[in-house]
Amino acid sequence: MVFIFGFNFTEQTLVKRSLETFYGIGPKVSQRIMARFHIQPWAKVGSLKNSTVMDLTAELSEMKIENDLRREVQDNIRRLKDMGTYRGRRHAMGLPVRGQRTRTQIATARRLNKIERGGSGRVQM
Amino acid sequence: MPPSICLRSFSQLSLDRSVHSLASRSRLSPHAACFSTSAARFANPSPKKGRVVAPPKRGQKTLNVKRGRKDPQGDVGKRPAPGERKAQRKRIVLRNDNALEVTALHDMAKATILSGLDEGRVLGIPENVVDALRAVEAFKPTQGWGLFWRPATLMRKETIQMAGLLKEVEESEEGQKKTIRRVLSGERLGGKSTLLLQGLTMAFLRNWVVINLPEGITDYPAAQDITNAHTEYAPLPGSQPTQYFQETYTANLLAQTLKANEPVLESINVTTNPSLPLPLPANATLKQLVELGAVNPEASWPVFLALWEELSVSGRPSILFALDGLSHIMKDSDYLSAEVKPIHAHDLTLIRHFIDCLSGQKSLPNGGVILAATSRSNCPSSSALEHSIQVAEQLQRDPNNLLHYNPYKKVDQRVMDALKDLRDPEAKGLDVIKVGGLSKDEARSIMEYYAESGMLRAKVDDGFVSEKWSLAGMGNIGELERASVRQRI
Repeated sequence: MVFIFGFNFTEQTLVKRSLETFYGIGPKVSQRIMARFHIQPWAKVGSLKNSTVMDLTAELSEMKIENDLRREVQDNIRRLKDMGTYRGRRHAMGLPVRGQRTRTQIATARRLNKIERGGSGRVQM
Repeated sequence: MPPSICLRSFSQLSLDRSVHSLASRSRLSPHAACFSTSAARFANPSPKKGRVVAPPKRGQKTLNVKRGRKDPQGDVGKRPAPGERKAQRKRIVLRNDNALEVTALHDMAKATILSGLDEGRVLGIPENVVDALRAVEAFKPTQGWGLFWRPATLMRKETIQMAGLLKEVEESEEGQKKTIRRVLSGERLGGKSTLLLQGLTMAFLRNWVVINLPEGITDYPAAQDITNAHTEYAPLPGSQPTQYFQETYTANLLAQTLKANEPVLESINVTTNPSLPLPLPANATLKQLVELGAVNPEASWPVFLALWEELSVSGRPSILFALDGLSHIMKDSDYLSAEVKPIHAHDLTLIRHFIDCLSGQKSLPNGGVILAATSRSNCPSSSALEHSIQVAEQLQRDPNNLLHYNPYKKVDQRVMDALKDLRDPEAKGLDVIKVGGLSKDEARSIMEYYAESGMLRAKVDDGFVSEKWSLAGMGNIGELERASVRQRI
């Protein structure tokens, strides 16, 4: 078991995959982080040196991820709503925000567009 | 017009008798039993698909061979362990117990191998060299070693050419030892990797130090694994522009080199005073030096450099530095720099070292041969490499009529610079060995060996050899083996 940013991962997990479990880290960001610390794309968590794991944790703690990022997104939506804008209202109603038709195909909007927008990650708010 | 007997038998086969008139029926002998499978087919109509079959009556036993979800045991078949299937697939088999032992087969001998007298003969590879070749992963699972009693190769024209190169190096004067650099190119299945293996065999026999970067069909380290970002990398401190070293890969390479060259390395003492991150015992041999790097990956690159330094001291054995799968190292690697830009393969220290040797920037004070084999089946495209090889081949054919680079293809300038000597008619050091088809005599020799091994059951005469030689695309040795040994009709 290796601890990265306070969460433990089994040794055979890919570093890329373990980074992308955090809310706010996707393929691009994980690639950037790994290139920065010279970790090859297919590296497993178990093969990392201790110093690299510490560096990763330090890097992640400086980034705006997980709850900090969720809070920012939610604040942005709440601001829109409090101002009474159309976009804020659409968020509150769970409907498409950017002028899409609503006759069909709004499943994604229904799933995502809410004030308490959270997404998946290691931490739940 | 078809004969009437045919028509008659067709009319008998017809099931619908009503179409025939009464008169014709009497004429066509209706009593003969006609051949038909219809009766059997219609006698017991099978239930239609999709129709629910009634459950068996109470007390009646049924055979249920399906294993469903309800089955408590589930699938009890043993699953292969992780990596087992790959190991099976990549296993190198060097012996076929069912093949006949060829009694007349001689081994390659240290004294005579460079003489060139064995041209056109099939020679066995000595036992200890086989172990060394296995250690440096010179055998590939796609080659037909597993078809014969023991590994043997044909001493073809190109092999003799290679032996000549080694001989030239050995016979050059002390202090001005030659470094010969060659790229092996040729058709698919033409025997490039086998020629490389023959070169390695000769070097092992002559007690050279052999360092081989295999193509990586089996396991890493391999030429493709240097660049495909599967092993650790780290920037080399103090290098400008930044170079990257691969500690695990280098450690593995050192371990393989040690295993293959143990007797030679054991006999040489460390004389220079290498600065290593780990302490080296006093009066250490090269074996101990290499072991240090193989066991401690973090020290592997300094140890590799120290080994090279040691081998450059005058009076040491010559070096054969070989690589299979040249195009893997003639492109951007899959590694990323800290700025998320791809790292060119030539910025990896080990490849930089090889390229410096191949391009002639580094020469070997004790002489040596640098070999790079291209591959046709596992090769990322590298137009600069292809162009350089084409120009070199053209130079051998007709030096007055040079090819020009296709301006619509992207050029990798670093590759062009590294292979400058290939395109230069004046430069002598770097050249191409074109591995073409066998001559008919060579084909006959190898086919006689096939026949003596019991793998080819035919009379090997001129006609047969010519036929197979033509079928194999003018004597392509891989195709020849395919046509005569592997193919069973």
